[in-house]
Amino acid sequence: MDIFETMDLFHSYKNSKVESLKNINIKVGKGKKTALLGANGAGKSTLFYHFNGVFKPKSGTVLFDGKPMEYTKDALAELRSDVSVMLQNPDEQIFSATVEEDIAFGMLNQGMVREEIDARIDEVLSMVGMTEYRMRPTQQLSYGQRKRVAFAGAIATHPKVLIMDEPTAGLDPQMAQETLEIADQLHIGGTDVIISTHDVDLAYAWADEIHVLRNGTLVYSGVSEGFYKDSVAVALAGLMPPAMFAIDSNLTEICGIGNGKYPHTRAELLSKMAVKDTKTGTLYGIPVDDYIDQAMIDCVLAHAEEGAAVGIYGIQTRRIAYKEALRLDYVFDGMENCLIEVMNGNDAVIYYDRSLSDMVIGKVVKVSGFGLKIPFEVRGGL
Amino acid sequence: MIDFSALPIIQQRVLLLAVIIIAAVGSILLARIINDRRRKAKGLPSGKRGGTSEQVQMDSLAYGSRMVSWSPLGKMFLALALIVAGLITKSALVPIATMTLGLALMAYSTNMRIPSILALAIGEAMLIMIIGCGMISIMGNPAEPAIWNAEILWFRIHMTAASFNQAWLVFFRAVAGVTLMLAFASSTPIPHLAQALRQMRMPKEITEIVVLIYRYSFLLLERMQTMYSSAQGRLGFNGFVRSIRTTAGIAVGMFTSALEMGDKAQAALDSRNYTGEFPIFRTPKPMNATWVAMPILLAVWMVLFGFYTEGLIDFNVIFFGGA
Repeated sequence: MDIFETMDLFHSYKNSKVESLKNINIKVGKGKKTALLGANGAGKSTLFYHFNGVFKPKSGTVLFDGKPMEYTKDALAELRSDVSVMLQNPDEQIFSATVEEDIAFGMLNQGMVREEIDARIDEVLSMVGMTEYRMRPTQQLSYGQRKRVAFAGAIATHPKVLIMDEPTAGLDPQMAQETLEIADQLHIGGTDVIISTHDVDLAYAWADEIHVLRNGTLVYSGVSEGFYKDSVAVALAGLMPPAMFAIDSNLTEICGIGNGKYPHTRAELLSKMAVKDTKTGTLYGIPVDDYIDQAMIDCVLAHAEEGAAVGIYGIQTRRIAYKEALRLDYVFDGMENCLIEVMNGNDAVIYYDRSLSDMVIGKVVKVSGFGLKIPFEVRGGL
Repeated sequence: MIDFSALPIIQQRVLLLAVIIIAAVGSILLARIINDRRRKAKGLPSGKRGGTSEQVQMDSLAYGSRMVSWSPLGKMFLALALIVAGLITKSALVPIATMTLGLALMAYSTNMRIPSILALAIGEAMLIMIIGCGMISIMGNPAEPAIWNAEILWFRIHMTAASFNQAWLVFFRAVAGVTLMLAFASSTPIPHLAQALRQMRMPKEITEIVVLIYRYSFLLLERMQTMYSSAQGRLGFNGFVRSIRTTAGIAVGMFTSALEMGDKAQAALDSRNYTGEFPIFRTPKPMNATWVAMPILLAVWMVLFGFYTEGLIDFNVIFFGGA
């Protein structure tokens, strides 16, 4: 089943003879992490504005959840409640004078009750780490903070689909990582997340499926490596191969390791390239609900080799870890770093949101699948 | 008394012209210098370069005010009632009292720490009014006896006791108006003002425009600041003619930026289900009976106070011993 599908979609801007989208036939799979890739001016933003009905096709059809889009006032209001957009520049999206008012904007437009809005403002501000900024005027925030507010406003409506335009542009690496973690969490929670970007490294590491646009034409749909193997298509699209893909290709050629698998992350690459029978440590996973039990932590750390690295993964865990002032080695990208520690022969402990359990296990299995088996033990449940 | 007329006529004219020019230019320059020094001391960009920081400062003041939760319409009504009371009485004590009230409100609003931005605004208003009221004081009725009489250039100076008192009354009325309006402005964020306008049944098109102008003025000023710095970095302000050209270029750039911003904002508003009206989550307190009665009572009291104190203060006596 596809969440979005377009059939013979054409679009041109008002008073322009140039077609900004030409015969787009795209299928965005439900439950997949999707990236729209393309150089500047390729038509990514124009396409995603068709997904929430802001732009109407010149010709062709857009289907949402299997049904053709209708452009009546009521139908569009319903569609935009389901499909949320986070723009690249937060200033284009933030209209209200205070953080609280701006996050409430979309929900008030939907006619939600105030008590529910109040609770959701708290929830999303906590997710983006801006709880103490609730009453602040928006123009007094830094760019990164404004971006977080825009993100909070987009997810507060609990959309079925979240479209993010260049979500990490202008953010520091830690905030970028945090944004992707939230996107992962939303994805696990059942929200379809679509990222529109020209950051090939981000798309390669994050997305299950990519769609590449070039001058308003869809030139590729599928898994990332299928596109990057065609260097001419990559160059014509105005892109470059992701660093991970290029390093893997070169190392595969030099070392002669060709298991036909394409690592998308550092841990996957190291697992693929590691010498067989490498001694690994053990990864201890501790799912976290809403509190941390110090006795359990001490028990796990005692069990693990002395000096085990500790990482966190997930918004709730991060919040609790900060509150409890836990000893942490990897605050950001904790999962990836803990996997690498284990591959280096050290033990590691990863605290993660229980809701992310499947994703954590999936990552361990995936990395192990590249060659080096990662011993993983889940300890209790906090 | 000043025997200005004893001077030769040409000297009188040159002297008065010089005084007027120096007073006007000096007031403006002094205000600018104070402003720039204050900004430099705080590490802020110079005030003549865009002025974004002043806007943000006023905005911060309004949001941080102890009076922010008061009914915006009530505050506006109170300020207007006191200004009107000051205008309809002829006693100088009434505008002095309303000015004091305005300052007291400002002090309460800012937690007894009136910031330099407000002090400077009041100072600027005073400097400007000194020039205006100076003119009123020297344009007295020729039929009345003069405190100071002279003819300079084409201008006849005739300061009378009445014109001198009138000048002081106008001065205090103006400064009282400024302090009261500043007390209102520094405690009322623009969205609250828009809400007050809604409560006054203003057309929603106007209130929506007020909110949008408020929000986008910050963004446009930010963009202008960037353009200005960029032009400055490329020697765009070297020389008068080049400065004019660069300023014109920035103005055109701002215009196209505003158009582009408008297009993008429309798409973003549509994306967030905008229905043609900016909803408010935390609505400020509405105007109630207390907010109607209190300003009216205060204004009536001020008018009565003015009625009984009219003529009590004679500035001619204070400054010239009643000559």
